[in-house]
Amino acid sequence: MSVVHTVYRPPGGYRSERVAFAMWSLDEQSRKLFDDTRALSPADLEWQPAPGTNTIGMLLAHIAVAEVHITSVALAGLPNSDVRSVIGIGMEEEGLPLAGGAPPSPALAGRPVAWFHELLAKARIHTQGVVRGLGDDDLAREIPRPRPDGGTRILDGGWALYHLLEHEAGHHFQINQLRHLRRVLAG
Amino acid sequence: MHAHEISIIRPASGVRSREIAWRLAELDDQLTLLLEELNALSPAELAWQMTPGMNTIGMLLAHLAIVEVFWVRAGLLAEPETDPLPVLGIDMDADGIPIAEDAAPPVSLNGRDLDWYRDLLTRARTYLAANLCERDDAWLDQLRTRVRRNGSTHQFDHRWVLYHLIEHFAAHSGQILLIRHALRNAQAALPAADPR
Repeated sequence: MSVVHTVYRPPGGYRSERVAFAMWSLDEQSRKLFDDTRALSPADLEWQPAPGTNTIGMLLAHIAVAEVHITSVALAGLPNSDVRSVIGIGMEEEGLPLAGGAPPSPALAGRPVAWFHELLAKARIHTQGVVRGLGDDDLAREIPRPRPDGGTRILDGGWALYHLLEHEAGHHFQINQLRHLRRVLAG
Repeated sequence: MHAHEISIIRPASGVRSREIAWRLAELDDQLTLLLEELNALSPAELAWQMTPGMNTIGMLLAHLAIVEVFWVRAGLLAEPETDPLPVLGIDMDADGIPIAEDAAPPVSLNGRDLDWYRDLLTRARTYLAANLCERDDAWLDQLRTRVRRNGSTHQFDHRWVLYHLIEHFAAHSGQILLIRHALRNAQAALPAADPR
């Protein structure tokens, strides 16, 4: 009978134990996301249950884009991110937020799942490089960010690490819901 | 007046282990965010199904509470009896998950409002916190083994259970928001109600 191990093994090379745990958590999440999406075809990835609804491909691209952006501004402390230089596409190409009644992002049309996994892998390598040398004090440094409405958002690195996990997990199950819905509607 | 938003997590107070205090704060943040998002939903909207055989928002909210109690009893306390009934007042199967193909939502959840689900989730969280607040960091490393329903063996540590509760909650929160989006689309497609 099979044995499933889900035991924390701290990954090496991180200055902070808190960062090491966060990176282990993210890698656990991505391992399952890759497993759940590995068999999807380009048609599955660009299927929309209704116009104006995100596709699985858009959500995968969005997870990668968001990881690079959040890591850049909240963990590297940069004034802005350059997502394209890290994963090869920019924020515009993911297509989120999608306008009501709109088709999927044309920049993602026909892409195989391996292409999306590569985006995610590049984003993770970038994150690892940024957080490797961070200490607990760095995670507590408050960073003010301008909001689109002219207000201010204050965040810190500890929140960013938590948010990366909850963000990926939330979209992961949206992806699973879309997979299930496609199967149900296809009969 | 411009908005001023704070995105900072502070460890939960009254908790012996700093690491556990972080995890509890993250779980509480998840619960607060989710309940804020669902604040305006009616009992009928909580029971809405995209198609037969699909989970409703209400089923997923009940599932989150049930799973949280289950992992305390089965994962952290290693109790032989894992039913959430004594804590929540509903049993393990009350969420109707997994739902059978083409099935309707469980009748027992019909008409339940958000306050009822909020109470379930709060009870589950209180139970979790009560079983964590005196634990130390060494306890997080303790290994457990349990035999699953399918006969396979699952080996895990307490730290993994806390990680799993966060990813599980966040994942179903994302799913719930997708269902709410589909609900809004379905409502927008209906002809406007006759105002007379």
